[in-house]
Formats: sequence, C-alpha cells, structure tokens
Amino acid sequence: MTETWRLIDMRIEDAPTQMSIDEAIALARPKGETPNTVRLYRWDPSAVSIGYFQSVEKEVNLEACEEKGVDVIRRITGGGAVYHDYNGEITYSIVAPEKDPRIPRDILASYELICGAIVRGLEELGVDCEFKPVNDIVAGDKKISGNAQTRRHGVVLQHGTVLVDSDIRTMFQVLRVSDAKISDKLIQAVEERVTNVRRYLGREVLFEEARDALVKGFEETFDVVLEPGELTEREEGLVKELHEKYSSREWVYQR
Amino acid sequence: MKRAEYKVPGGKLLVAETEVEEGFLTTVKVMGDFFMHPEEAINDLEEALNGKETAKIDEIVADFFGGKEITLFGVSEEDFAHVLKLTLES
Repeated sequence: MTETWRLIDMRIEDAPTQMSIDEAIALARPKGETPNTVRLYRWDPSAVSIGYFQSVEKEVNLEACEEKGVDVIRRITGGGAVYHDYNGEITYSIVAPEKDPRIPRDILASYELICGAIVRGLEELGVDCEFKPVNDIVAGDKKISGNAQTRRHGVVLQHGTVLVDSDIRTMFQVLRVSDAKISDKLIQAVEERVTNVRRYLGREVLFEEARDALVKGFEETFDVVLEPGELTEREEGLVKELHEKYSSREWVYQR
Repeated sequence: MKRAEYKVPGGKLLVAETEVEEGFLTTVKVMGDFFMHPEEAINDLEEALNGKETAKIDEIVADFFGGKEITLFGVSEEDFAHVLKLTLES
C-alpha cells in the first residue's frame, strides 16, 4: 500500500511564521507524533530570506526592502539569499527522518533526490530543467530554484524556492549581488542568470497549476500520496514559541 | 577590521573578518552561503579562535573539526583556515 505523507497546502503567512512552521515540524517529527510532511507556501508580505551564516547588511539592500515593504528574515538553514515574491514564488519544505530508507545519508545525494521532486514538478509544467550541484535547479543555464537543507535531531529539513513568476528586477533591487559599485550592465548580466516558469514557458502560470505539478513531483519521486492536513496542536504551540525568535532583531541581525 | 572572501572552486563562498592585536586574533567572524550542520557550531569555531595566535589558525581549525561531529557541505575545514589566513594578508 502506498504510504501517505502530510501536505500542508499553500498556507500564506508572514516570514517569521513560515520559518517557525518549518522548524516546528522538524522539532515535532522525531517524537513520532507526525508523519513525513511536505509544505507548499507563499510569503505575505514578500520577504528576503538569508542563509544562517550570511550577513544581513552585505546580502540585503535594507533601504530597498523598506521602501517596497519587503520583510527580511534569517533562516535556520545555510545557503544563499532568496527573494520570496508574494506574487510569483512558491516555497516548499520537506521534513523526514534521516533514517527513512528513501533519504540518502549522503548530503549531495539527498539534495539530488529532493530536488528531483521539484525537477519533476517543473517538467510537468513543461520546463526542461535539471539539478545542478551543489543545491540549485537550472533551466538551460538559468537558475529557477535554490534549495537549502539542515539535519538535526535525526531529521532532515529541506526547503527551497520555486520561481513561478517572480519579479526578477525587484529581486536584484532587494538582494545585493556584489559590492555597491556594481554597474547597470552587470546587474543586467546577473538578471540573465535567473529565470522563472512564466518567462521560460512564455505564458501565464497560475499558482494552482504550479501547486498541482509540484504535488505530483513529490508523489512520484517518493512513491507516496500527499494528503492535505493541518499542523498538530503541539506544532502550533511551537510555532508561537519560535515566532518570537524569528521576528527578533537579535536573530535576524546576528551576522 | 580585515576582510577576505574565498569562493571554493565548485563550492560555496566563505567570507572572514578578523581583527588582530600583536599577533593575536581579537575578533573572528566567518560568513557565507555554505552549509554546516549543526549551524550553531559556527559560533563555537569563532570562539575557539578568539584570543589565539594567528600562527595557530590551521591547528585550531583542525582540532575544532576533529573533536566534533560537524558536517560541512560546499566547503571543507581547510577552506575555513584558508579564508581566515587570507584576512591576515589583506
């Protein structure tokens, strides 16, 4: 019989809540109270998330964020800075025990497997793309998804961004790519290195269509059924506790 | 404050900032888009280096990673020592 995993489906929340939910699910998983979980979600307001080890000032144009009402948050995972566009981006996360037979122990292999679910989803939409080590998915030579993983308490948590119709110009206004001296010409070159599903296909792609494709990608890759569910009471409690950390200046500005 | 960046070939970016007084590290900060599990270990690495002689960076970094269960991805422990020593040249 095909195993069932929980799907927390397209919750729209602010940045501290989204990051709290991912960590809460990872904290609750080892207790065995919850099944493996996949989330698909959007950020309201739009936000920049930076990797655990990154410097806010060096990665984020804080003035541009303030002007545009874009929130800034530090993730629990390493990796690079991401612009989560409310109008054009879907974030996914997956939580499973490290000892799950489907999850390779080798980190690169586990990125490749989980990113494979996103690749399948994107292919379902008609995007010809592939996993590019160490943690990206590219369509042609352009990045369309970035991914980040952590392992703690015997659990793998991986989350990542899927650029459906993200505003790439705004992306490079809120993210600092290099030093402040970057020329317009260079900005253009950087923008050329990223794409999104809409741009790739040359047609409008609704969130619903992208969501359905990503669900299918996970189901086929892991040979499971994703069943829509809710957070448990304990997870909701953890979200409340963690929200304080993620929204604090100490956390966001620690580096 | 001395600063250095090192992009690991085929890997991630490491950024280090140090302050040195009379051959001793007084400030150590390592940043970048790499992966380290558990993430909080970065604070322990910085703490382990703080107050130590710059000549001992290799040794301290090797001891640090040797004594703990830390998983790196996109960078190696030698890359940490390398970027820290690069700050001394800047």
